[in-house]
Amino acid sequence: MISIVKKKSTRKTDWRVYILLIPGLLFVATFTFYPIVKMLVMSFFNWRIGYQQVSDFVGLANYKDVLSDQIARRALMNTVAYAVVTVPLQMIFGLFVAVLINGIKKFSISFRLAYYLPVITSWVVVALLFRYIFNNQGLLNYFLTDVLKVVNEPIGWLSTRWSAIFVAMLLGIWKGIGWNMVIFLAALQSVPKEYYEAASLDGLNNRQQFFYITLPSIRGTILFALVMLSIGAFNTYTPIAVLTGGNPAHQTEVVLTWMYFQTFNAMGKMGYSAALSIIIAAVIMLVTVLMFITLSRKKED
Amino acid sequence: MGGEERNMPVYLKNKHKISLSMSIRYLLLTAGLFITVMPMFYMLISSLRDNKSTFSYPPKLFTSLDKMTFENFGYILNNGNFYRYFTNTLFVAFMTVLISAVISSLLAYSFARFRFPGKNILYSMIISVMVIPGLAMIIPQFEMAVKFNLVDNLWGVILFYSAWVTPFSTFLLKGYIEDNIPKELDEAIYMDGGSVFTVYRHVMIPMASPAIAAVSILNFLFPFEELGWSQTILKSDEIRTLPVAITMFFQAHNRTDWGYVFAMTGLSMIPVIIFYLLLQKYFISGLSSGSIKG
Repeated sequence: MISIVKKKSTRKTDWRVYILLIPGLLFVATFTFYPIVKMLVMSFFNWRIGYQQVSDFVGLANYKDVLSDQIARRALMNTVAYAVVTVPLQMIFGLFVAVLINGIKKFSISFRLAYYLPVITSWVVVALLFRYIFNNQGLLNYFLTDVLKVVNEPIGWLSTRWSAIFVAMLLGIWKGIGWNMVIFLAALQSVPKEYYEAASLDGLNNRQQFFYITLPSIRGTILFALVMLSIGAFNTYTPIAVLTGGNPAHQTEVVLTWMYFQTFNAMGKMGYSAALSIIIAAVIMLVTVLMFITLSRKKED
Repeated sequence: MGGEERNMPVYLKNKHKISLSMSIRYLLLTAGLFITVMPMFYMLISSLRDNKSTFSYPPKLFTSLDKMTFENFGYILNNGNFYRYFTNTLFVAFMTVLISAVISSLLAYSFARFRFPGKNILYSMIISVMVIPGLAMIIPQFEMAVKFNLVDNLWGVILFYSAWVTPFSTFLLKGYIEDNIPKELDEAIYMDGGSVFTVYRHVMIPMASPAIAAVSILNFLFPFEELGWSQTILKSDEIRTLPVAITMFFQAHNRTDWGYVFAMTGLSMIPVIIFYLLLQKYFISGLSSGSIKG
């Protein structure tokens, strides 16, 4: 007995674990840790690239530039609006579809595959598709003006700020439902059926069962989805880049499209872009931590 | 799937209620399906119509069978570098899947099973990378790419993609290993004189394969949709991946040749759909534990 325990403890600090660990750690460190640290450093400098360029230390000046920049603030507003609308809605729709699919006997796999189709379709492809549908002469305007006759003039969906953001939100929700469906389906299938048996013996109806048994049982998944989707929402680049390119006049920029524009189109503002990136990362971290705190506190109640 | 029936809520077994609640479920699901699939159907139809008619007004939702044509597909396959874009993207996708599967399974195994100094700090560092958008690190990454000669090189996207997707894959795999692979299996291997490598090869890899399949589906899709980084470092035409190529094609064609664009996007979807269909049976079981634990 003693020898087994001893063996166990020596294996716990087995040096061979480092052989398993180090290649992966080196890889992640090189391609992510290093750039993050480098970016943090850059954000305090008037960074220049090129041969023998000297970068000046400017302290927090880049951060001041970002925070006083009208477009950066608008981009942040757009991103937050996108996150606040798309995250809860795609979770609700996804959970609803998951509950429906979990309760049927036939075709459940076919439905699952079909609902997942938008998720495995590239953002570039679906953004182009939405651009086509929401075009001035597109399918939607045709239906609204000539078929349903609810509006007289075609709506310039992609040419004003909020209507374009609205299209981006629709796209985000439409594409995200399938992912939520799969995640919630996995969670629903792991809720012990005894819970439902007990509940129906107690006379709870379907709706009560959903609120008193299903929702509390899948709380972990809800938190997981909330965090992952919020990260994803702040990570939005492709849909906006393809739908509007941030136009008209930077009205529809999100943080990453604006950062990209500043980096490659307005050359020489590397420090600004780095500061913007750090701010984006800080905001996402803050949101994530806040979610964890609020939701784990609720769990205790 | 037997699992679904087993987990069916009890009220469904109550025969009197089945027919009505069931038909409502099917009705709602079919209505939802209409919304989900309609845009995709429209894309398919538009790719099968004469390119000139895709930008004419009024737009048509349906097309008669005799007016359908594969002209757009012919144009895409015969003009330009579509085969190159296609094979480039496939190569990047397979490499990204492979590298991230190896690295994240090694990391997940180490973090799930061993104690070593700095473990918690290292793990939280890897997890917090998940929070930072890959594109947000673009400036230092671009400098690195220049230094390592990775600009205009497919390895420039492969290495960075693998690094970006590794934290999430590690997170899911670690959760799966902790929840679904009994420690007794490791013990048995050690009793037989096996090493950590034996455990990795003969326990972790086979037992965690559903989770590896699930993360591979997600990672395979990544090169088919990532635009920001790929358009930054893949400069010459013959080295481009599909997201860049499609975007460039769209812009170069005055944003009007929708028939060609949709033929291109339709073709680009085929590998992802096949990959998904091949692995989909593992998808739910593989995702479950990591996401349920939260």
